[in-house]
Amino acid sequence: MNTQLLMTLRVTVAAPLNIGAVPHGTRRTVPLTGGSFEGPRLRGTVLPSGSADWVLLRADGVLELDLRATLRTDDGGLISMRSFGLRHGPPEVIEALARGEAVDPAAYYFRTTPRFETAHPAYAFLNHVITVATGDRRADGPIYTVHELL
Amino acid sequence: MNTRPLMRLHFTTAASQEIGPTPHGTLSVFPITGGSFEGERLRGIVLGGADWVTAAADGTRELDLRVTLETDDGALIHMTFTGVRDDANDYFRTLPRFETAAPKYAFLNRLLAVGIGEGHREGPIHTIEEIL
Repeated sequence: MNTQLLMTLRVTVAAPLNIGAVPHGTRRTVPLTGGSFEGPRLRGTVLPSGSADWVLLRADGVLELDLRATLRTDDGGLISMRSFGLRHGPPEVIEALARGEAVDPAAYYFRTTPRFETAHPAYAFLNHVITVATGDRRADGPIYTVHELL
Repeated sequence: MNTRPLMRLHFTTAASQEIGPTPHGTLSVFPITGGSFEGERLRGIVLGGADWVTAAADGTRELDLRVTLETDDGALIHMTFTGVRDDANDYFRTLPRFETAAPKYAFLNRLLAVGIGEGHREGPIHTIEEIL
């Protein structure tokens, strides 16, 4: 599978809003407070308003991620990003992550599939690109390495 | 990005239903009448489904597929994908997801995958790899 680096995206998160037990699992919403992204073709910041990860812990222990964020490039383009993902791993690793400890990202599965929408001509290529990301959950928020499928 | 082969999947399709111009583009529904899939960890047949394809003004198509797979040992797997097909740039990529209740195939519930599609007269072929 040929890929190329699209960007590294770092987001910071606020305390989660614990919705609780819902029909499909346990739901919480994690607001994003900001962040930044940088890659060969785009760089900028994450806008906190309207950006959050809607997270569902399934009965099989898999965490489903549904991140929606608005990115602003350094030349003023707005990009809407939506990303479905999965996170799971051995119980002791997931517990360490929950305690905010530093964990080797190779010790768990944290993958997402970002899609993008923009009206800015310089970034129109993003509208038609399929990407995959590997995540690294840090105490202050995840770091995503996003690769474009070639 | 490390990946591992999951399956090669072949669909047969019926004549498309041309819904036409909608607020999101030109919508065509491609019924999937059958097919087969084969990989190291699973193989079987396609029971049916469809791909809802929305073409943008620039010719790029957004794919939204749902099918049911049946393995050779009788398990049913619900498969969906979204994807992009842009024949002008030879780009046909998908993001398959799977749901199953069969314990033997529960690993499918826990993975993300990517697919490379190829258009053929008899129907598309997708080479699907698990994202490791």
